[in-house]
Amino acid sequence: MASDADRRTLTPEESWSAIHATMEHARSSMYVAGTASILLLWGVIVSVGYLAEYAAGTVWSDFADSRPWLSAPLWGVLVVAGMAGSAVIGQRAGRELAAGEAARGAGLRVFVFWLAVAGAAFLIPAAAGLWVEEHAEAIPRVAIGIVALGHVLFGIMHRPVIAAFGVGIAGAFYVPDRLAGDGALAVSALATLVLVVVAAGWIRRSRVL
Amino acid sequence: MTDADASGASIVLDETIHQPTRLRIMTMLVAVPETDRLAYLFIQQTLGLTGGNLTTHLRKLQANGYLDTTREFIGAKPRTWVQATPAGRRAFADYLSNLEQALNWRPPEPSAAG
Repeated sequence: MASDADRRTLTPEESWSAIHATMEHARSSMYVAGTASILLLWGVIVSVGYLAEYAAGTVWSDFADSRPWLSAPLWGVLVVAGMAGSAVIGQRAGRELAAGEAARGAGLRVFVFWLAVAGAAFLIPAAAGLWVEEHAEAIPRVAIGIVALGHVLFGIMHRPVIAAFGVGIAGAFYVPDRLAGDGALAVSALATLVLVVVAAGWIRRSRVL
Repeated sequence: MTDADASGASIVLDETIHQPTRLRIMTMLVAVPETDRLAYLFIQQTLGLTGGNLTTHLRKLQANGYLDTTREFIGAKPRTWVQATPAGRRAFADYLSNLEQALNWRPPEPSAAG
């Protein structure tokens, strides 16, 4: 049955606008394929990282004190696992939407974008001379800021909800870091987990992505 | 829709495409390379349509030879793919060309006779 929108006629100007808006929306829909699942995956990964860091400073302090370099391989493994998981989820989600060059190209661009963000989260602290024992605590502060910025930029380009999620990631880390004292990382882990579960649930229900 | 260009010749916009939903469907289909196919669900979700509404418009476009649909199983899941035909791409290119002419057309200035 035809709706009111179906029955109305278009002016040439409306047609032109509809063509541009549809192209833009369809293209960005390819870029955000699988985003809800990927956000959930990264939320779990980041929370595991925070909890491991918290455990290293409290219950496993005897083990961690003799291995001050432990953070680097811990986050390295988590980030590589996250990138691999994101690539698989993104590829599968893309295959559900389209078959051909356009979906492959969109998936590759998104992967390279996040690879650049993850690379920057490692390289910028290194270039700033933070990969030494006395500055080790500053590394996650910089890295989380870069990852949050990545979400904000990606969200500005494709879907504002992803930008808001980036602000949430930053808040879940920086607010406890300032206010929660020794338990900051445990609070951040919990806050991040709650944030991603709520965000992924809302994204799926609203079908905004 | 019929309009007139600067020379007075009529500009005809393809009625099959010149409809809000079908215009957006064709835009999505021709925005990807010729060999690409889009999933029925992707079109439905991107355009915010009901299944019945989308099917009605796809049938109309298919009846004009502007698109093809294929159904296949990926694992146990059935999936319907939609692809613009060469005739559909040509019709859309003609539509765009005519639309540009319609956008450039202005009614002649009233003469200052008197």
